[in-house]
Amino acid sequence: MADMTKKKDMSPKLNRTGWIFVLPSIILIVAFVFYPMVQALITSFQSGAGNNLSFSGLSNYKRLLTDTTFRKALSNTVLYLVVQVPIMILLALAISSMLNNKRLKFKGLFRTAIFLPCVTSLVAYSIVFKSLFATDGFVNAMLVKLNIIAEPISWITDPVWAKVLIIVAITWRWTGYNMVFYLSGLQGIDDSIYEAAEIDGAGAFQKFKSITLPMLKPIILFTTINSTIGTLQLFDEPMNITQGGPANATITISQYIYNILFKYSSDFGYAAAVSYVVVIMIVVLSFIQLKVGDKNE
Amino acid sequence: MKKKRVLALLLASVMTLGLAACGSSDDSKKESKKDDNKLTIWAWDEAFNIKAANVAADMYKEDHSDAEIEVVTMAQDDIVAKLNTSLSSQSYDGLPDIVLIEDYRIQGYLNAYEDEFADLSDIAKPEDFAAYKTGVNQKDGKMYGIPFDSGVAAVFYRTDYIEQAGYTKEDMQNLTWDKYIEIGKAVKEKTGKAMLTLDPSDIGQIRMMMQSAGTWYTDEDGKVNIAGNQGLKDAINTYKKLVDAGITETVSDWDQFVGAFNSGDVATVPTGCWISPSVLGAEDQSGKWAIAPFPKMAENADSVNASSIGGGWYVLKNVGNEDLAKDFLKETFASNVDLMNQLATDINLVSTLKAASSAENYSKGVEFYGGQEIFKDFAAWTNEVPTVNYGENTYEIEDLMTEVVQAILGGADIDKTLEEYQTQIESVVAN
Amino acid sequence: MSRKIGNVFQYIFLTIASVVSVFPIFWMVIASTNKSVDITKGTLLPGGYFMENLKTLLNSDLQYMNAFKNSLLIAVVTTALAMIVSSAAGYAFVIYKSKGRERVFTIVLLSMMVPFAALMVPLFRLFSKFQHMGPLKVIALNTPMAVIIIAIATAFLIFFFRQNTQSFPKELVEAARIDGLGEFGIFFKVFMPTNKSVYAAAIVVTFMTSWNNYLWPLIALQSPEKRTLPLVLAAMGSSYTPDYGMMMVAVVIATIPMAVLFFIMQKQFVAGMTGSVKG
Repeated sequence: MADMTKKKDMSPKLNRTGWIFVLPSIILIVAFVFYPMVQALITSFQSGAGNNLSFSGLSNYKRLLTDTTFRKALSNTVLYLVVQVPIMILLALAISSMLNNKRLKFKGLFRTAIFLPCVTSLVAYSIVFKSLFATDGFVNAMLVKLNIIAEPISWITDPVWAKVLIIVAITWRWTGYNMVFYLSGLQGIDDSIYEAAEIDGAGAFQKFKSITLPMLKPIILFTTINSTIGTLQLFDEPMNITQGGPANATITISQYIYNILFKYSSDFGYAAAVSYVVVIMIVVLSFIQLKVGDKNE
Repeated sequence: MKKKRVLALLLASVMTLGLAACGSSDDSKKESKKDDNKLTIWAWDEAFNIKAANVAADMYKEDHSDAEIEVVTMAQDDIVAKLNTSLSSQSYDGLPDIVLIEDYRIQGYLNAYEDEFADLSDIAKPEDFAAYKTGVNQKDGKMYGIPFDSGVAAVFYRTDYIEQAGYTKEDMQNLTWDKYIEIGKAVKEKTGKAMLTLDPSDIGQIRMMMQSAGTWYTDEDGKVNIAGNQGLKDAINTYKKLVDAGITETVSDWDQFVGAFNSGDVATVPTGCWISPSVLGAEDQSGKWAIAPFPKMAENADSVNASSIGGGWYVLKNVGNEDLAKDFLKETFASNVDLMNQLATDINLVSTLKAASSAENYSKGVEFYGGQEIFKDFAAWTNEVPTVNYGENTYEIEDLMTEVVQAILGGADIDKTLEEYQTQIESVVAN
Repeated sequence: MSRKIGNVFQYIFLTIASVVSVFPIFWMVIASTNKSVDITKGTLLPGGYFMENLKTLLNSDLQYMNAFKNSLLIAVVTTALAMIVSSAAGYAFVIYKSKGRERVFTIVLLSMMVPFAALMVPLFRLFSKFQHMGPLKVIALNTPMAVIIIAIATAFLIFFFRQNTQSFPKELVEAARIDGLGEFGIFFKVFMPTNKSVYAAAIVVTFMTSWNNYLWPLIALQSPEKRTLPLVLAAMGSSYTPDYGMMMVAVVIATIPMAVLFFIMQKQFVAGMTGSVKG
């Protein structure tokens, strides 16, 4: 398939066309991401509330080292990343390859149902989740009835279960989203390949492993990086479902940045410093993923 | 070669944008003057402060028919976010002339954006309002805000449950927390209901107890006051006693909090008077509720009741119609007893304007509360709330204090924990 | 034999996944037919208050329908522009692969990694200057364009199109060139039509992101008549005595356009490659 033979002899005209294609995007990204990024970097060396900013060298970065809330936010965020992203990617892959099965009935119905969570607005989603997972809520009632648990779980007010709840919520909301990418990617795989494998006697799992996975690799790489970034910037769910509580047990870095900016006394400098730590983390992780992903191409 | 040209083009476009951004920041400042007789007001609750602003606007327009007043509902967090971004870039386009700001936040704003708020000393006097409300809205002797609602704390309770437990309305007056817990245990035993709800993420309960003892997370000078703060220590101990007594029900957010008393799961709701409209929501419980003063901590030299969250109206100086905005406030929230009278029935507003207690509706009994003259009571308690300095960092400190409380509930030593967090909070607030 | 069992397992799995996915939405629809007090008590039975809740919503000061229109306008324009601008870039990074552009792409990827909260304040300062800069006034604060402009070229979309273009047969491009089609012609007439499923996914996702976008519109759109749906929903939620019935109606209505769009677009996910891609 991907025989990208590197042709050194691209004509200058084609080369120029290439730049014309990418130029509008680049101008917009430079103006609306990189320019503010540089501004934020400068701000990260300043401190003070609101408009009373003054240059303070590395003091914001030093403060990070002793900030226990930051440490909490960081470890929560990493936990969400390590636990949630793999679960979701695997689920989405499994679902989309099942849905790609030609003989499957009610395909449209399943597809729509599983995609629906990501169209719900955050406000609704958080109210619904808080209510369903209340101590005397529907989920506990079900679990008790099914004898899975003896005592109702304090999903929202227990520091450990609250984290579990956040992971459940993100998985619920974003699995269908990732499924969409895989489904569109699966369209690029010719059915004849599967048919040939079947003639060779390959089972469903065999087909998944030796056809679907390799063919979807660019998209899997894409969704993994995307989910990694999404999780490291996670904000909506903890903000709306647990407010970062109980006692900062579910707070994430993005939420902490938001709190510093708006809930607390708007310390723009410190907020920028915290963000830069996130940027560095994401850059490192993404490049590891890209390197691993590109290796066996 | 071609590549270079493209790069040059790219650089040029970036520079244009950059230059534009660095360019004249001054001309944006004064240009946003609007029509001379239009006011915009921001607040956040359709059923409460928005309605109040609308009623005030209608009253004002009776005498000033040419004034145009637009009242905008916006989430409170969104108001905070917009004020911060706009004021910090001194971009006034679209900002309101008058904005409602929570008491806990105002000192932070006044310090960070001092020149953006109008001095209201010439339209209102601090003496006209309950003392604890005007401590927060002054800076260097100038008054910047007109207090709006009283957040005076009280105990809303179910008379039927209390009676079933063998107590009377008289027992609920001048409560101490020890007595409250005793009643709570009886209620739990006889009715199976919890005495109150607690939310582990929200320690408003401790805040109220602490203020009833006249202390806060910060002292009079705004310095962090955690370790060795007797009022705070007593409050945390009382909170622990409540939890240990097994008379509480855990809720995790506002809806569950409201849901719990609407569906009759708890016997009392000790909180700010602004909860009244939510209590009234359960129409089937009419006549079963009454209101008592906030309990005190017997071990502390304290007052009867405490305040919880309330807000005040502030005028943004550089938006446009400062004079009209001041005139509006002067004739409405800063003085108008008729307005307060009407708002008492419309939205159950407990005013902090001292003169309001003479309003006719303040001495009317409310049937839902068994005919109790609740406004009179609230007004009386409001005047007793101790003044404290909320400082600039209430929310910042409180997020860490929830950790403190969780640790202490889990068995940690109270003095040690408070000391530990004293240093930690100092380092957070120092900036 | 084992295929039968496998199939049964698939149906069970998908059914459970569907039920779990849909249940909260079902709850939301039920809630929209109930009174606020009953919702906080946690009813699961449909009530008769839908019309009443709807009336409260439309009669409130929140300008709900207006916000709906604003959201729709912004989402449609954003999606249309993004499909051209971002896909052109993603396409070019593969079809006109060169060292220089590879490097640029790496830098573009970087832009995906900054938390938006960090950019908000500098971005706001930048936009507040546009008011006084002649032609740039069209993207000044408080215009729908201010929200649209920052969403039409995203590293996310460029990356997505780049990844998908990698499996696009280059022979098609060569063939089109021999047929005398220009470079733009190839992009618009060959690439776009043969990648319908990719565009369908991108449209759904872009529209959704725009539809739910919160932080930037919050800061960029100042006056109440310019507000989008998420801002109005947030305003409803911050009341001391929220009317959940009204909110749920608002939320249900806000979900409809996304659901409809997905329903229309999902045909593309199963339509397979159109045209004579594989020779």
